[in-house]
Amino acid sequence: MIKFEHVSKTYPNGVKGLKDINLEIQDGEFIGIIGMSGAGKSTFIRTINRLNDITEGKLTVDGIEISKLKGQELRHYRRKVGMIFQSYNLVPRISVIKNVMSSLVPDMPFVRVLFGLFSKEEKVRALEALDRVSMLDKAFVRTDQLSGGQQQRVSLARTLTQNPSVLLADEPVAALDPVTAHEVMDDFKRINEELGQTVLINIHHVDLALEYSKRIIGIRAGAVVYDGPASEITSDILDLIYSKEEAK
Amino acid sequence: MNKKLEAVLSKEPHRGLQYGITVIILLILLFSSTPALGGAHMTSKGFEIGRNILTGIFTPDTSLLFGLGDSGVMYLILQTIAIAFLGTLVGAIIAVPLSFISATNIVPKPVVVVTRFIIMAIRTVPSLVYGLMFIRVTGPGPFAGVMTLAIVSIGMISKLFIETIEDLDEGILESLDAFGSTLFQKIRYGVLPQLGPDFISILVYRFDMNLREATILGLVGAGGIGAPMIFALSAYHWHQVGAILIGLFVLVFVVEILSDKLRHKILRG
Amino acid sequence: MSWYDKLFEAESYTLTNGKKVSQKFTRLPLIIMLFLIAITISVWVTGFSVVTLFTNFTGFWKLFGSMFPPNWSYFPKIWQPLLMTIQMSFIGSFFGALVALPFAILAANNVTNNRVINLTIRFILTVVRTIPTLVSALIATYIFGLGTFAGTIAIFLFSFSFVGKQLFEYIETVNMGAYEALVATGANPSRAFVTTILPQILPTYLSTSLFAFEGNVRYAAILGYVGAGGIGMILNEKIGWREFQSVGMILLAIFIAVIIIETVSQQLRKYLS
Repeated sequence: MIKFEHVSKTYPNGVKGLKDINLEIQDGEFIGIIGMSGAGKSTFIRTINRLNDITEGKLTVDGIEISKLKGQELRHYRRKVGMIFQSYNLVPRISVIKNVMSSLVPDMPFVRVLFGLFSKEEKVRALEALDRVSMLDKAFVRTDQLSGGQQQRVSLARTLTQNPSVLLADEPVAALDPVTAHEVMDDFKRINEELGQTVLINIHHVDLALEYSKRIIGIRAGAVVYDGPASEITSDILDLIYSKEEAK
Repeated sequence: MNKKLEAVLSKEPHRGLQYGITVIILLILLFSSTPALGGAHMTSKGFEIGRNILTGIFTPDTSLLFGLGDSGVMYLILQTIAIAFLGTLVGAIIAVPLSFISATNIVPKPVVVVTRFIIMAIRTVPSLVYGLMFIRVTGPGPFAGVMTLAIVSIGMISKLFIETIEDLDEGILESLDAFGSTLFQKIRYGVLPQLGPDFISILVYRFDMNLREATILGLVGAGGIGAPMIFALSAYHWHQVGAILIGLFVLVFVVEILSDKLRHKILRG
Repeated sequence: MSWYDKLFEAESYTLTNGKKVSQKFTRLPLIIMLFLIAITISVWVTGFSVVTLFTNFTGFWKLFGSMFPPNWSYFPKIWQPLLMTIQMSFIGSFFGALVALPFAILAANNVTNNRVINLTIRFILTVVRTIPTLVSALIATYIFGLGTFAGTIAIFLFSFSFVGKQLFEYIETVNMGAYEALVATGANPSRAFVTTILPQILPTYLSTSLFAFEGNVRYAAILGYVGAGGIGMILNEKIGWREFQSVGMILLAIFIAVIIIETVSQQLRKYLS
């Protein structure tokens, strides 16, 4: 369970990234986060695995207050919270499977890390994750030979390999064409249903968000202006989330 | 004409003046440089030498060209390749740390200014001067050639290495951070695999250049195919000159094709 | 590489759902082996020795140290040959680049649609490029006599082949749409070339020529070594006479000249792109 209590974030230059956020996320939920660009969607998602620090309030995950984590504890925590980025962030000139296996590295002993020696079990684990996103046949292909959609799936497989309980995705389909975007969203949905992982996705396409998520969080100017079922979203609510005026 | 159109037309930049000035500057530079054309005193002897060299190329000294001894073209080619190969390698070993402390995303700006100035200074000294300096260290021979090429390679290798380092995709490092990697793991799995192929491709390219460079080291007694050619030229042994020039041509040509292929494979897969 | 895959069996992996994948045996051991063999042969052929390097390296610093402080009073005598070197580079680069343009056009298969001409011109460019500049300078001194003209010829040949190759490769990547459209409307192909393709290649052409000029200034400094004129002549002379403080002064002068020329040329190239 992820719990936000009066969470705020002020950037060093004084800009408010998040304003007094209070909400709870249960295990296994599929949540879409919508809002204009610059509204704070990325900041919101990135605070959950501490790529951004919060400045006020309390953020607890499974009862642990994560802003207090340091060094090894933090790295250990991050193993449970997988993150997927808009830009895939794969090393282009190595094979797909090497990219996928890199997420196993933090659990490996030093010598094997140094020489890049992966055991057969680890390779099979990576292959299974690739199979889950239908990319098994590309396992030994160089990553830069893949299309954007395929690379995003490899990125998803990399995150699955670390076997996280929460999947965070920051605009994972923003750079993809509509058909590919649907395929990747289908992968997220299937993983959520089959493995029961909590999924939080930032999407700026409202249609996609409404189609796939059960719960929608609408963010405007750093504040949560809507938090409820996707089925109850009306055009009035969308106007509220996407209107240009300052929130009251 | 429509007023709007006239307004747009009048905004069109007057390139004519700009071109005119450029051409005039070029012409002035050109005429002031004519002394460089002086000193030509072509005689019938020059013609004859030119013809002799051409004859030599078409009727090379085959025993020299295909000879397997220490003075044969084959061995000289092997030696030239060896000098270029080791020179590139030693140059790379020096250039890697130098590049990291010259990249703006790794070290602060004042450090970069200093290290880049040093690289620039290293690059300016002509290779033959380094050759003479290294002969003091290693004695005459191919070893001096290796060290000379190592030093003259540093400039270009570091320049290209620095560009690669500054182009590092930090998103990959952020991803590694996001699944809990340590600094060492980030370098091993985020930085090295990104830089590796580019670095190797740069070195292959530089090896190609060093090979050409290695052919002239013989002038100062630093080994390679250059020295025997000068001896042959000054002794008017045109058939030997021809044999060596053919060997040189084949060597540079083959290595260029191979290095282009290799780099294509490294960079595009 | 099939022999290698036969020798070392591919590894296969079975997934829990029964699917099987196999991976070819890694080529890394082969590459490392070849690399080590290459190093061993090279060390053997060249007599490379790290021990000698470290024990005798003081010789390098001693010679380097003897160049300091540079002999300032020598500067007035450097001025003239330095200028000559720059003039050599300029004339050589200018005409080299000028002659390279028609050759590049003839070598590019999208503009000149004749395989025989393409390959002949490319062969000429390759042959010229293969000959090291110092060697062509040397040969030029035999033909034209000692002096700057021989050096200018060597620089001309280098610029010609370098700009020619870079330019024809670039021409082959330009957008042909406008050219084809113009030819289709019945325009003369050479007119169409001037109005559609030339503007596309001009910035790259000028920038490559400037780049060649930059390199040539640095390279021209050693041409004197074979008697092809310029600052290399006095450099060679002072090294021979062991007047190392004067050598230091010459190197410093070259350094400053190169910095100025590179800075100006880089600004121009930035403006062109």
